[in-house]
Amino acid sequence: MDRRSFIKRASAATAAAAVMTTKQKWVSATGVEDSKQIGSIIDLTKCDGCELEDTPLCVTACKTKNADRFPQPEKPIKDYWPQKHHEDWSGEQDQTGRLTPYNWTFVDKVEVEHNGVTKKVSVPRRCMHCDDATCQKLCPFGVIHKSEHGAVTIDEDFCMGGAKCRSACPWDIPQRQAGVGIYMNLMPDLAGGGVMFKCDMCVDLLEKGQKPACETSCPKDAITFGPLNQIKQEASTRAEEIGGYVYGDDENGGTHTLYVSDVPFEIIDEAIAKDKQANNDQRPGRPHMKPDVENLLDTAHGFTLAMMIAPVAGAAAAGITAYKTLKGEKEEESSNE
Amino acid sequence: MNKNNSAEKIVRQSKSNRFVHWVSAISIIMLIITGLGQLPLYGRYLLWQPFGTNWLTSYEMTLWVHYIFASILIFIIIYHAFFHVIRKEYAIIPKKGDMKASLILMKAMILKKQEPPSEKYLPEQRLAYLLFAVAILLLIGTGIVKVYQNLMGVNISNTMMVIVTMGHNIGTVLIIFAFIGHMAAFLFKENRNMLPGMFTGKVDKSYVKHRHSLWYRDLQTKEKGKANKL
Repeated sequence: MDRRSFIKRASAATAAAAVMTTKQKWVSATGVEDSKQIGSIIDLTKCDGCELEDTPLCVTACKTKNADRFPQPEKPIKDYWPQKHHEDWSGEQDQTGRLTPYNWTFVDKVEVEHNGVTKKVSVPRRCMHCDDATCQKLCPFGVIHKSEHGAVTIDEDFCMGGAKCRSACPWDIPQRQAGVGIYMNLMPDLAGGGVMFKCDMCVDLLEKGQKPACETSCPKDAITFGPLNQIKQEASTRAEEIGGYVYGDDENGGTHTLYVSDVPFEIIDEAIAKDKQANNDQRPGRPHMKPDVENLLDTAHGFTLAMMIAPVAGAAAAGITAYKTLKGEKEEESSNE
Repeated sequence: MNKNNSAEKIVRQSKSNRFVHWVSAISIIMLIITGLGQLPLYGRYLLWQPFGTNWLTSYEMTLWVHYIFASILIFIIIYHAFFHVIRKEYAIIPKKGDMKASLILMKAMILKKQEPPSEKYLPEQRLAYLLFAVAILLLIGTGIVKVYQNLMGVNISNTMMVIVTMGHNIGTVLIIFAFIGHMAAFLFKENRNMLPGMFTGKVDKSYVKHRHSLWYRDLQTKEKGKANKL
């Protein structure tokens, strides 16, 4: 899809939704406003990691666009009491080989062997923008939002930096910088850990009907944003064409980012894991690519059912007990008479 | 009749009340423990992990245990409300003037002076009940929305997300204060006489006569009414 048709469709969808919903609904199933949702395809058969560049162009574009939002911590940065550590990436602001608070996308380059052929695979990584984003739903302060396009965004002004979002994310995407954020104005010695940073799908550009920086900077057209339903269809068609695979359609309950590859994702995941092991890389910011990652909230249905039954059971038990006790008291009174 | 055969003890809490009290207490304590686990607390502040508490550092485990005890709490709160409405028992509901009466009673306890006569529940008990009720209702109300939004395929608006999340957090702070206040009440020796009521159901008759004289008078009136019928 070209830029013009993208803008046209996104605007039409927004206008149609605006007409249909005269006021904001406080609750909606994701399916209700499907027309507004935007997703992306990352085609690994096209991405070469900008092999002739020092830094992949999508990474450079992302860093340039978001530079004024990068954290400027107050030094010296204190440890997370009573722990003896804190997370500080301010000394590695030029790091482009992993996700950091100063680098919201990177290209993981690994060598894989598939069908007897050894080849290099370049995997642009960033937030997947999940349909049911566990980071957003479980944030203890409710400061991770979803835009009308389905972009998952962190409110950097109110994030306390507890990093629960990173733990709840199957890919550990959000990265933390200490010494910045609202906690510095509260009790920086005792509570809070900084601010979490990650890709926000260039939500400001999407609102203007423009495309995210990573897509417009990609020389290989490996990254394509568009209406989610269409993107899903295109990813599936493309995978069929190349006899390949899709990653992100089912993972974590479905996401707005669909990778297409002619190499199975198990193999890519293994290659990433091996490379990390070989380099003793234990720091956060280099996500796995395990297929069929489950959403931790997906197993809640049994507990939710119990919660629905609880009030009915409580009322029934109260009715029976109250009736029995009242009857017993009446019988006692009449036997006394 | 609220009086046992020995005549030295008086039934203060029925089996139903004790059931509600202890089930609520266990649920609330477990909800506080698992709820704090949903904040990133244990991973940071526990320098060593006490035996058997490793699950507290798992957001998934603490969330499911939170759901289980939330279901139990909803059950018991609905049971409690329906049971007393059906039986038309409202002795614990706060009354006009409870705030002032509560201050007078506290002053008397601290200064070791004669307390004003009380009903079955002291004015501060009625106020404490109100605080618990407000906190629990706030927590259940916001908790239900949070459980709903955690369902797959459901997204609530960003504004509602902030409101329910902060409402739940405020409710948590309120109930922790209420719990601490409830425990602190037993710092006063006089209040400790009520403790057996929540274990055996009975309290000393002499205590009731002395401190809950208005309730004792009611019990006596009912007793006489029954005796006259015989």
